[in-house]
Amino acid sequence: MDAKFRPGKFGMKRFEVMERKDADAVHLKSLQLLERMGIKVVSEEGRRLLKAAGAEVDEKTHVCKIPGHLVEESMRKCKRPVKMAARNPAYDFVLDGEHCYACTDGVGLATIDLETGERRPSALKDVADSARIVDSLPMMHMYNPLVTPLDVPKHAHTVHEYLAALENCEKHFTTGSTYQKEEAVYEIKMASAVVGGEEELRKRPIISSLTCTTSPMVLGMTTDAAIEFSRAGCPPLLMAMPLIGATAPMTVAGAVVLGNAQVIALATVLQLAAPGSPLCYSSEPMAMDVQSGLFEGLFPAADMVRAAHVQMAKRYGIPIFIGGWGTCSKAPDVQAGYEKAFSAFIAYLSGADMTSGPGLLENWTVLSFEQLLIDHEMFTMMADMLKGFPVDDLSVPMDVIMEVGHEGHYMGKKHTLDHFREMWQPVVTDGRTYKEWKASGSKSAVDHARDRAKDILKTHVPGPLSEDLRKELRAIVSEAEGGIPHK
Amino acid sequence: MTSDKDAILAELENGVKGLQQEIAVEAARKALAAGMNPVEAIENGLAKGIREVGEKFAKKEMFVVELIYAAEIMSSAIQVLEPEMKRLSSQRNVVGRMVLGTVAGDIHDIGKNLVRIMLEASGFEVRDLGKDAPTEGFVSAAKEMGADVLGASSLMTTTVDVQKEVVDALRSAGIKAPLMVGGAAVTEEWAKEIGAHYSSDANNATVMAKQLIGKGG
Repeated sequence: MDAKFRPGKFGMKRFEVMERKDADAVHLKSLQLLERMGIKVVSEEGRRLLKAAGAEVDEKTHVCKIPGHLVEESMRKCKRPVKMAARNPAYDFVLDGEHCYACTDGVGLATIDLETGERRPSALKDVADSARIVDSLPMMHMYNPLVTPLDVPKHAHTVHEYLAALENCEKHFTTGSTYQKEEAVYEIKMASAVVGGEEELRKRPIISSLTCTTSPMVLGMTTDAAIEFSRAGCPPLLMAMPLIGATAPMTVAGAVVLGNAQVIALATVLQLAAPGSPLCYSSEPMAMDVQSGLFEGLFPAADMVRAAHVQMAKRYGIPIFIGGWGTCSKAPDVQAGYEKAFSAFIAYLSGADMTSGPGLLENWTVLSFEQLLIDHEMFTMMADMLKGFPVDDLSVPMDVIMEVGHEGHYMGKKHTLDHFREMWQPVVTDGRTYKEWKASGSKSAVDHARDRAKDILKTHVPGPLSEDLRKELRAIVSEAEGGIPHK
Repeated sequence: MTSDKDAILAELENGVKGLQQEIAVEAARKALAAGMNPVEAIENGLAKGIREVGEKFAKKEMFVVELIYAAEIMSSAIQVLEPEMKRLSSQRNVVGRMVLGTVAGDIHDIGKNLVRIMLEASGFEVRDLGKDAPTEGFVSAAKEMGADVLGASSLMTTTVDVQKEVVDALRSAGIKAPLMVGGAAVTEEWAKEIGAHYSSDANNATVMAKQLIGKGG
């Protein structure tokens, strides 16, 4: 196994947050919403596809009423399993429901500077640096630009991000902020250049796209970008982002149904655009602080919606990408730790194939390199639990237990020697004695994470792009600067 | 002959540091068959191996499980050599003599065992009283072996007081050798209070023991 790529493995019983009958009810109520009230589809191509397939489309209001059977047929057509390829084929993976993966999330606008500790506007270098760190971390499997660089032409920021990611990270790339069809076209062109053509990209999709639906009940312009990705054979991740109490009802179940309806509506459009193409369910709900009206990513209610959406994706038999690991904390601190741990773990316990969010603070708006290392460490701990354990002759050494007998210990036994490397080991977690800890500067996990991040940036060299390919990619980026519509 | 001897010493050393019990034990038998002095087999073979493991453990290049396993290998090889050592009444050169034990009422001895391994690897002769060791045992063992230094370990807050009993018993018996204390429940302040020396871990204990007997840097 490559030291820079270690998938998580599910080896324990999956947790289900809803009874089966409740999951069935979520599905039926979602179908009812789509049939009776319909969903507003801003994309002209989306409406055309729905209409041709028998939906009732109102060209004035853009509301499309979609028959339930069409939705169910479309869900059945989705490609299974979904492959996520990478610039380096050693980092390709397949979403088989038996393994779990972690991705960074977007899209922050500020970065906590690794040297000064001060918060400042994000730059392209932050994309490059965070991509390089992800490239080096064995349990970060995909890269989505953590921040939007403010030092490149605004309308073409996604292609600049993609180039920086390709230059610094050999793992699968997910674009989290591709809103326009033209951006998608140029990103697909870049991906094709890397793998050697569009046909090859279809076999090895090295790019995927997070496509946000809009709550309540709108499929926005992002649908056009998603259609491009679907037609290129690259999986869009169809994201519901209900804000509980504001753009969704004030209850967990209400937000679950609303979000689910939006996701399966978009899946229907995409399966009409490209039948049998790969796609993933995705969810990143938020909850309202009922006192202030502010929106927080990781209140327990939002985490419950996440878990329920994982269960729905499992019900449909498609992979799910959960936006989690959020926190309202402004610094990599205790609050960030517990909010992130709860949200990520309940998603994985429910069987989430992928989660995103490591490295971001304050509701996914601020990048902290220290937090990226800490979140990676937390995922290694979670994965160590999620893998479960066998009960067999090797794992229960009856002979050794009897040999050690009463009051002895197992530290000098061959069985211990043979198995100790399976044990989880910390990288940034400090487990030393008080004396040692004090003597070496009383460093916290955040301090260790900072040291580690600096060390990675000093030493880690990702596999380079060839000079010809780099030239070709740069040419596409320049072309995109002219070709992507902007005011 | 020299090259045979070197080969056997290398096997003794590599058996320990490479965590290969059969190789070390077989090499001990070969050493006896070749007429090698068992002390030489230990000093220039087995002990070299365990010292390297100890150094790597200190640098976090090897794991505690490996250190303990290497020590088990070393002791099983020494068992092979022991009858011949007795016959020749030969002894290892010792850096210092130490009495070590987990105090009465406490059965936690894994940390104490690590201290023993590291000290033996550094050339100390260690009389290990084991766990739940009676206070008077520290006194009598120190007298018997002429201990240069003692070590008392305690993991529980309920048994740290026994460390004070050990110091008091030693002093009232006229034994002046310094006492090192350690274990999860022990602090630097407590050690000072009872007139002992605090050591936080096995590596630190080795350095401190050498300093206390005037042989450390």
